[in-house]
Order: sequence, then C-alpha cells, then structure tokens
Amino acid sequence: MKEITCEDVLMSQMAAADCEQPEFSRQQLSTHIAACANCQHELKQSEALDQLLAGHTLSESRVDLWPAIENRITKRTSAAFHWRPFALIGLLLVIYKLLEMLPARDLGMAFKLVPLVIVVLLFVFIKENPFRINTELVLER
Amino acid sequence: MDDAEAIKRCQQGEQECFRHLVERYQKRAVAHATAILFNRDDADDAVQEAFIDAFKAIGTFDTARTFYQWFYVLLRNRCYKLTAKRRPTESLDESMLLTSQSGISGETTLGLENALHSLTAEEREIVCLKYFDGLSYDELATHLQIPRGTVMSRLFNARRRLQRKLVPEREV
Repeated sequence: MKEITCEDVLMSQMAAADCEQPEFSRQQLSTHIAACANCQHELKQSEALDQLLAGHTLSESRVDLWPAIENRITKRTSAAFHWRPFALIGLLLVIYKLLEMLPARDLGMAFKLVPLVIVVLLFVFIKENPFRINTELVLER
Repeated sequence: MDDAEAIKRCQQGEQECFRHLVERYQKRAVAHATAILFNRDDADDAVQEAFIDAFKAIGTFDTARTFYQWFYVLLRNRCYKLTAKRRPTESLDESMLLTSQSGISGETTLGLENALHSLTAEEREIVCLKYFDGLSYDELATHLQIPRGTVMSRLFNARRRLQRKLVPEREV
C-alpha cells in the first residue's frame, strides 16, 4: 500500500470537501489526521478559506459591448463583401480580352457585346442607375 | 431564440443573431476575464476581441458543445495574450471582482481580492471557476484543457497560497 503523506491527506480532504472522489479511504485519512498536528492545523485553515469563498460570488457589472462589436463586425463583413464581385468582373474582362486576342477566330457580333453585358451586370449589382440625374447636388456659390 | 438557433443563423450570415450571444454572455465573460487579468479595462478589451474571434470562427462551431464552453477557450487565449503584454497591477484599493453576501464586511472582501491578486493568473482562474462558478474537477479539466491531476494540484497550490496570505491575517 502507498505510504500516505500530509500532502496526500490535504489533497484528498480538498477533493472530499469539493464533493469529488478522494484518492484515499475515509479511514486512512482520519487515522493520519488524528495523529498529525500539522494536518489538523492545515484543515482548520482550509475550512476557514472554504467558508470565506462560499460567502462570495463573481461580480457581474453592467456592460454593453455590442455597439463596439457590431461596428467591427460590420466593417469586416462589408470589406469582405465588396472586393469579390469586382474581382470577378475583372476576371471576366481579362478572359474576354484573351479570347478576343486569339487569332483567326471570329466569334461574331454577339461576342463584342459581352463587355457591355458585364458593365450592365455591374450596375445591377451595385444597384446604381448610371443615367439617373442626382438632383440633390447643389452648385457651390 | 436559443443559442443553437442563434449560432445556426449566424452561420447562415445573419449578423444580427450574434447580438443574442454577445448580450447573453458578455457579463459572465467580463467577470471571467477580470478574474484572469485583474483589470476591468483589459477585461473589456479581451472580451471584445474574443467575441470578434468567435464571430470569425462561428462557421467551425461544433453544435455538440455549448457556446460558452467553446467561447471560453477563445476568451482565455485573449486574456493570456494580454497578461503577457501588460505589467501586473499593484494591490487593490477597491473591490472589483467579487460581490459578498450579507454579513461579510467590505474589508474582508477586499482582503480576499488582494489575496487572489497575489496568485498567478492560472491559479486565480481555476479558483474562480471552481468556487464561484461551481465547476467539477472534470469540467475544469475540459474547460482548461488540462488533465484532472493537474486540476487538483493547481487548485491545491492555489488554495495553499491563499491560506498563507489570508487565514493568518484573519486569525490575528
């Protein structure tokens, strides 16, 4: 059987007080404690600490972090949202240009309209009307 | 709305649902961060950063776990990054971490807080999770991602240091 030390006893007593399974039996512990003044003193202190801790809870003070978090999340998502469609349109235009540069290949009139379609799609995507006149603009005096 | 639904909707891109999680857990998170950092401003910063981390990683959230259990790992990472950067504060003049039940003087609470302040951040964290949140040793092992034996020894050492700091003073 493993020899029981003061530290073993105190740790087992801590586990028992915390409603956990101690490593040593109740009998082993009480036999050691009865004969050990050091453990008796330590256990008294331990009980006092338990009482003190039991009389307190963590403070949950008023806090509102959402506005700051929302601000950062919005910035992040809007930045991530914007570059992708423009990158896609750029890629489509590059592919178009490469196809156009292929020699001895006539893809017809419809092919020439592809850039126009891409530009129209761009305006649809950004929800802007290029022909709309902004009446809110005022000339500076 | 429960957490599972909020998380699912966040994963589908509904940013507003993240508000539910922030508002539900921010107080608890600030209390835990304060326990580790012992500085309220730093705690607010760490919690904010941890929520941003959680939002970025919400797509990888495993619904088998609770949100706070998952979030706590991110929070303590943020807290320990901050503890490495910041100088420790001096002893406290007023209580900021604990609330006492009736019959306990403010002086006693402040004494306990100062004794907690003398522990390492890891020791303080485990004491707070055990005695103020009531986690079992197995739950502590999961929360802190350490073996159960380490939970016991860390807790034992922390308690010993608290006793040395605190109980003799109370006996005088």
